Amino acid sequence: MQHSQNKNAIIEIEHIARVYTMGSEHVHALRDVSLNIYENEYIALMGPSGSGKSTLMNALGCLDTPNSGKYLFKGLDVRQMSDNDLAEIRNKEIGFVFQTFNLLARASALKNVELPLVYAGVPTNERRERAIEALKSVGLEERMHHKPNELSGGQRQRVAIARALVTKPAIILADEPTGNLDSKTGVEIMRLFEEIWRQGNTVILVTHEEDIAMHAHRIVRLRDGLIESDRVNPNPVTFVQAGSGVAHYL
Amino acid sequence: MKFSEFIESIKIAFESLRSNVMRSILAMLGIMIGITVVVLMGWALNGLDNALEDTINLLGTDMLYVDKWDWAGGGSWESMRSRKNISIHQANDLAKQLTSAELAIPVSQKWGQNISYGEDKLAGISVTGTLSEYSLTPAGLVTEGRFFSQSEDRFSANVVVIGYGVSSVLFPNGDALGKTIKIGGHPFEVIGVIEKRGTMLMDFVDNQVFIPLTSHMGIYGASRSLSIAVKAGSEKKLDEVRMETIGHMRTIRNVQPGADNDFSINESQAFREQTATMRAAVWVTGLILTGISLLVGLIGIMNIMFVSVTERTKEIGIRKAIGARRSSILNQFIVESAFLCFAGSLIAFIFSSIVAFAISKASGVDFLKPYVPPEFVLYATILSVIFGMLAGIIPAYLASRLDPVEALRYE
Repeated sequence: MQHSQNKNAIIEIEHIARVYTMGSEHVHALRDVSLNIYENEYIALMGPSGSGKSTLMNALGCLDTPNSGKYLFKGLDVRQMSDNDLAEIRNKEIGFVFQTFNLLARASALKNVELPLVYAGVPTNERRERAIEALKSVGLEERMHHKPNELSGGQRQRVAIARALVTKPAIILADEPTGNLDSKTGVEIMRLFEEIWRQGNTVILVTHEEDIAMHAHRIVRLRDGLIESDRVNPNPVTFVQAGSGVAHYL
Repeated sequence: MKFSEFIESIKIAFESLRSNVMRSILAMLGIMIGITVVVLMGWALNGLDNALEDTINLLGTDMLYVDKWDWAGGGSWESMRSRKNISIHQANDLAKQLTSAELAIPVSQKWGQNISYGEDKLAGISVTGTLSEYSLTPAGLVTEGRFFSQSEDRFSANVVVIGYGVSSVLFPNGDALGKTIKIGGHPFEVIGVIEKRGTMLMDFVDNQVFIPLTSHMGIYGASRSLSIAVKAGSEKKLDEVRMETIGHMRTIRNVQPGADNDFSINESQAFREQTATMRAAVWVTGLILTGISLLVGLIGIMNIMFVSVTERTKEIGIRKAIGARRSSILNQFIVESAFLCFAGSLIAFIFSSIVAFAISKASGVDFLKPYVPPEFVLYATILSVIFGMLAGIIPAYLASRLDPVEALRYE
């Protein structure tokens, strides 16, 4: 087992590559990517389609394993992990938020948010309490018994975010979270992400939109399976009035 | 599998069934047919057992009937037809020589007779001539009036005891006693009625009339073959009585040592054996039919589970992304498939029980009492759950191995 070089690093990636075989063709989705992600960062992964940002996100989220290179998650070597170990990391350490929300259509908001806890084996009462708490934190406790088709797009995404938060994961991975929302609702969701970040979470956004990426404090740009640039964003878009000391909540 | 996951899976299975009722029913059809066959089989077997019990009670558990014919239908008719008749002298000899039995009574039967009461005629009646002691055997129990007496025996009295079938047709108002009916043209006074004794296996007993043996011989002649009703006294003595009877009959009829008996000993045991054959036939048929329909059912369930997995590919991707292990996905679908089978068998039980009940009410046939032995229900339920699990294994396995990234992309 590898030991991590950096104490605060949640994720340490070194020279990872991912190749897909489609018939006789080899697609090099990621060629050589190295990256460290620290606690309480707010990062945007940017790039046009085909840049490998989705592949990198899948790798970060332990949904997919790189063909080569090193991936340490909280000091543990992901590439050595069994399928069950990976499932456990996804359950307890990773909170996914998808562009298309990906909620279970036949379950209520509450049941949706409870699901990660079901797989974590949390007992019924505690599970319910934690799920309600998560829904409160995104302002949706009034709607907890509604099914997704009874909720607006923005509300659905908030349920998805609550679900991502319920296991108190190490990172929140959001793939084009505002892609299916109108601009006004999109702004609300970005406000929520900022709030989540301020509460101490590590937020990783994957997007191709500049406006969205500008909310992050660090922007990693990908092109053709390689990191083009990895820079601090000097003026991140924020919902908190500079100097006012008052945060405008949702 | 964690308990909370199991409960969740059951809930999902129920929801899945509810939201696709038609499809679920079609999938369950095979199982439902299999279970229905099981129910009907249990019903038939139970009916046979009841008929057997009734027949044994009718014949008496301590009775032997010596006859030139084999009543259970064993052996060839030809060989039995060629046997010598059993004469009244032989019957009397046996009665004298038999020491271990309580009674040995000669019985003469003439089948297919017509009797009449006034203008009413009844055909297909068997006229039985016997002694008064016949009333001491189970088949001779009179419920109304009395059997004829010894003196009526001796003096060829024209008295008759009629069976239930005869009484209910000729005297539907129940006023048979004292009336005169004509047997073979001769008038006979009704002195007794025998209660309904017929069973599925021996239904002719209700269409019988009993007259003294001497009267019978007067009408139909004295050279008919008789049967001899031997009452052992108790079931325990049956073997002893049988052996003694066979021994004496062989001597009386001059059967050579080493030759087969030229007469048959009929007892309830024969009916047990006959029923055993029928039972076995029902069992085997039932088992084959059940097996086939459960197999069909298995394929139906497996098919639906494949469809279900495909429909929910995206959902499986989401669950995996949230942290479901392969085993969780596998178990979820196996539980669903087992639940589907279980629900199908439950519905089938209820449905087939209702049908069985309706049929027995409508047909009014006595022995078809609707009843499913509890063990059957248990076995069939367990079997259907196991079947469900088997049917679901392959689709569930494939579901568990889906790549989460691919699955999430599925529309």
